[in-house]
Amino acid sequence: MAGGGGEAAEPRKRGKAKKRKKSRRLGIRIDMTPLVDIAFLLLTFFMLTTTMSKPQTMEINLPPEDVPVEIAESNLLTLRVSEKEEIFWNFGIEAPEKVEFSALRNFLREKNQANPKLVTLVKIDRKAKYNMMVNIMDELNLAEITRFSLAQLTDSDKKILEKVQG
Amino acid sequence: MPKFKPHRAGIRIDMTPLVDIAFLLLTFFMMTTQFKPIEEVEIILPSSHSQFKLPDSDVMTINLAKDGRIFLGVDSQRLRATLFGKENELRASIEVPRERLGDLLIQARTANPKLRTVIKGDVGVEYGVAEDVMDILQKTRITRFNLVTNLETDRAGN
Repeated sequence: MAGGGGEAAEPRKRGKAKKRKKSRRLGIRIDMTPLVDIAFLLLTFFMLTTTMSKPQTMEINLPPEDVPVEIAESNLLTLRVSEKEEIFWNFGIEAPEKVEFSALRNFLREKNQANPKLVTLVKIDRKAKYNMMVNIMDELNLAEITRFSLAQLTDSDKKILEKVQG
Repeated sequence: MPKFKPHRAGIRIDMTPLVDIAFLLLTFFMMTTQFKPIEEVEIILPSSHSQFKLPDSDVMTINLAKDGRIFLGVDSQRLRATLFGKENELRASIEVPRERLGDLLIQARTANPKLRTVIKGDVGVEYGVAEDVMDILQKTRITRFNLVTNLETDRAGN
């Protein structure tokens, strides 16, 4: 109370200044609309540009080069893919037969069920597309075949294919 | 009338919480966003049913462009500088001649043994290029690598 009395006794000027300050403090209102506009603009930008999904990958294991693996001929299924992306299969040294890509998965499943020791060797022509290789790998994975390997399509392989194609 | 007017003018929504949340989300997205590095070549990925995700870091990418050119990229800037020189450290991948690929792979692997090798091939690239690259990988004793693909959903039924 005494303080209040003291204040009242202060010179007029100071009292006025204090009063003005108080009213100004209450009255400060910034219009936040542009701020919010920009914030949301940036927010939508970052939300839309963020890619949450990462690309998928397919894992491949190659056998080390200097370790030869020997397989009985009857357990070797060779898939040869020609330049025209036709698929031929044969066991060992039998004559190759054509198989459609759409039938490949069931074909592989059947063969592997018939002989669980089967090893699939995939030989793809150099002029075929990379996409073909990925598709065949995918089919092998989907048919749950883990025992497969890639090899070069040599000239003798090409001759065998030519013979079948006539 | 005089009763109405001040009432109307007095509607003010307190936007502070809104702004708080907006900025919170904004900072979150700004921090987590990773801009896709500018690719040297456009690569259309083949699709597969594989569900493995590409790891975040320690990736070495071998890009196979449609015309058969090979680009090598690593994700760490420091490693890029040591492999390709200071001037190339900001480029995502560098064109590499086939003969040098093996050496660069070995260099990269010695600099960072945790590097995972990933092949990113265009759908249209000839298999021969991929075969050569896999040959080089096999010679440099990288026998485990990944192929980058898109997830295929259309014939996933059976």
